[in-house]
Amino acid sequence: MKKIRVFFAVLACKLARTAIRLLGRGGTDFPGRLALKICPDLLGELAKTVTTVIVTGTNGKTTTSRMIEQAFIDTGISYFANKTGANLISGITAEFAVHSTAGGKCRFPYAVIESDEAAFKQVGRQVNPKAVVVTNVFRDQLDRYGEVTHTLNNIRIGLQGCKSAVVCLNADDSLSASLADELPNQVLFYGVNVPIYKNRVEEVSDAPYCIRCKSEYVYDYVTYGHLGGYRCPKCGYARPKPAIAVEEVRTSDTEHSEIVISAGGKRYETNVALPGGYNIYNAVSAMAAGQAMGLDLDVVNKALSQFDCGFGRMEKFDIQGHSLRMILIKNPAGCNQVLNFLTASTEPFLFVACLNDRAFDGKDVSWIWDVDFERLTELGNLLSGVYVSGVRADDMATRFKYAGVPAEKLRVIKDYSELCKAILAQDKPAFIMPTYTAMLDLRATISKNYGVKQYWEK
Amino acid sequence: MELKICHLFPDILNLYGDRGNVVCMRKRLGWRGIDVSVSEVSIGTPLKASDYDLFFIGGGQDFEQEVLLEDLKGGKTAEIKAAIEDGKTFLAICGGYQMLGAYYKTWDGQQCDFTGALDLYTVGHKDRMIGNYMFTCEELDGQTVVGFENHSGKTYLGSGIRPIGKVLAGYGNNGEDGMEGARYKNVFCTYSHGCLLPKNPILADHILKTALTRKYGSADLAPLDDAIETAAHAYMERRLAAK
Repeated sequence: MKKIRVFFAVLACKLARTAIRLLGRGGTDFPGRLALKICPDLLGELAKTVTTVIVTGTNGKTTTSRMIEQAFIDTGISYFANKTGANLISGITAEFAVHSTAGGKCRFPYAVIESDEAAFKQVGRQVNPKAVVVTNVFRDQLDRYGEVTHTLNNIRIGLQGCKSAVVCLNADDSLSASLADELPNQVLFYGVNVPIYKNRVEEVSDAPYCIRCKSEYVYDYVTYGHLGGYRCPKCGYARPKPAIAVEEVRTSDTEHSEIVISAGGKRYETNVALPGGYNIYNAVSAMAAGQAMGLDLDVVNKALSQFDCGFGRMEKFDIQGHSLRMILIKNPAGCNQVLNFLTASTEPFLFVACLNDRAFDGKDVSWIWDVDFERLTELGNLLSGVYVSGVRADDMATRFKYAGVPAEKLRVIKDYSELCKAILAQDKPAFIMPTYTAMLDLRATISKNYGVKQYWEK
Repeated sequence: MELKICHLFPDILNLYGDRGNVVCMRKRLGWRGIDVSVSEVSIGTPLKASDYDLFFIGGGQDFEQEVLLEDLKGGKTAEIKAAIEDGKTFLAICGGYQMLGAYYKTWDGQQCDFTGALDLYTVGHKDRMIGNYMFTCEELDGQTVVGFENHSGKTYLGSGIRPIGKVLAGYGNNGEDGMEGARYKNVFCTYSHGCLLPKNPILADHILKTALTRKYGSADLAPLDDAIETAAHAYMERRLAAK
């Protein structure tokens, strides 16, 4: 009986996905939901024979997954991954289904899976992974997740289902590091032992008070947000010493970072192929994942300098000789980190923000007021202009007006075709920051008008 | 002219964009050549309410609430009450709004005493009231205010307290009586968290004018070019009206 349900669920999922792609769309959510209707524990069935690493947490899931993937490729491991950011139970199930035979046997021995934090509650238990990476916990889409402590709790429940996993935790994040409490699993802490930025943006801390006793933390240093060397003067809860640690940040510019990572008594000189302090964290977490999966860390280290960057994560486009970089934004912490490296720019650039408020973007757009956009204004002539678009373009424009962007530099262009034309009509490199569904719409326009490939065609 | 703003508990009551309201007040005063200072007063710092003209209190997460209540008892509650009775202007949002009331009762019956500065109370509910919403304000000549609400507490007003407006779309105070927020003397309370003032410039100016009038007897605010703000307001107004 079970076998028959698995068979029909996999079949339905594959057919639905093919049909949707023939229609020219990239949907992954519906086929998965259909399959789960037919067989609710399909994911557990399909994942049985697969050795999986799951990446969850608020920010950095996709990039970290891409880094781990590159390490898998370089090691010669046969794997699949949920590449398109379909990270809910439906999308992950669909991804397993399309990589399985009709009988429900996965064609790959390994998988790299990024999981939404709330979805991880179920995903963790069903997949039973070999390793889990928790990147960090920040405030994110309160309309969906509620408070950060709720997010933390979802991850905790998910981890309790991962009986045999090595758990990689961010030592610098007082929230996710606390997940180690009462966890019987082997825990591998990773972290950054030194400050990253000389001049950080102003941001509110998402965790100023001790997760155990609610006294205010004291920090020896802060890398960004609430991450860094924290300790509670009252109860003694403090940053655990990471086994895999960034010891030195030699350079960090708008193209890359050069760092030194220590692990297992060895030092690795690492070239992170993406800019920004948050990618330094992604790199060191990928090293931890590599260790947890039993990979050769020299190979992982090399992979960090040459991986293919994620969908909308500093992705580079060249259109008609123009350089465009697309950076997905979804919450203040992530957005502030992008500003941290943009403000180090020495060349003039155009800033483009596309704000949508559909379920996948976060319905509440007020987080844009927690982003220190004032720092962009302080760049003066280096900021050649600000174009805003998306469903909530007017809210975005209001934010930039109050951040002090001069009226003559600020343009609201709601139509994506017009927006692309305007970007190409000026001569500065453009940094485009869209929310999730705005990114899908914008990519569709770029694909249609300029022939750049859609993500599901890659 | 000068307005002194006190931002209470900025490091704790700062849920999603609350600082936008302070940015907005600061800018709208500055553009009119009115001096403005913003002082942040948080846990452990004594509050001398007579030093300020306008108080802003944002919304927060439940996790830090205990820390806050302990601190309020240490003298801030008395200062806040006195300032309210003295006609000082307050803008309190979501958690800050609830905090000015008598108590918060969780859905399973546990009562948490608040400042009691205003005659209102809040009862927790299992389902959260989340989404874009809109209400009309009588004192703004029936103009609408648009915002985003995200609360599980249902707030009920006592006899001396008026609502700030009537709900046109969404839940408001409790999803039952069609009322939104609270008004008492120069206190403005609402569930519209995040960037309330930037996209409701008429309300922003009304609150600033209230504070300036209290201080100087009268105040005229020169009109500003609000085209961008008004577009943001009009978009959400249209969208909610179409529902």
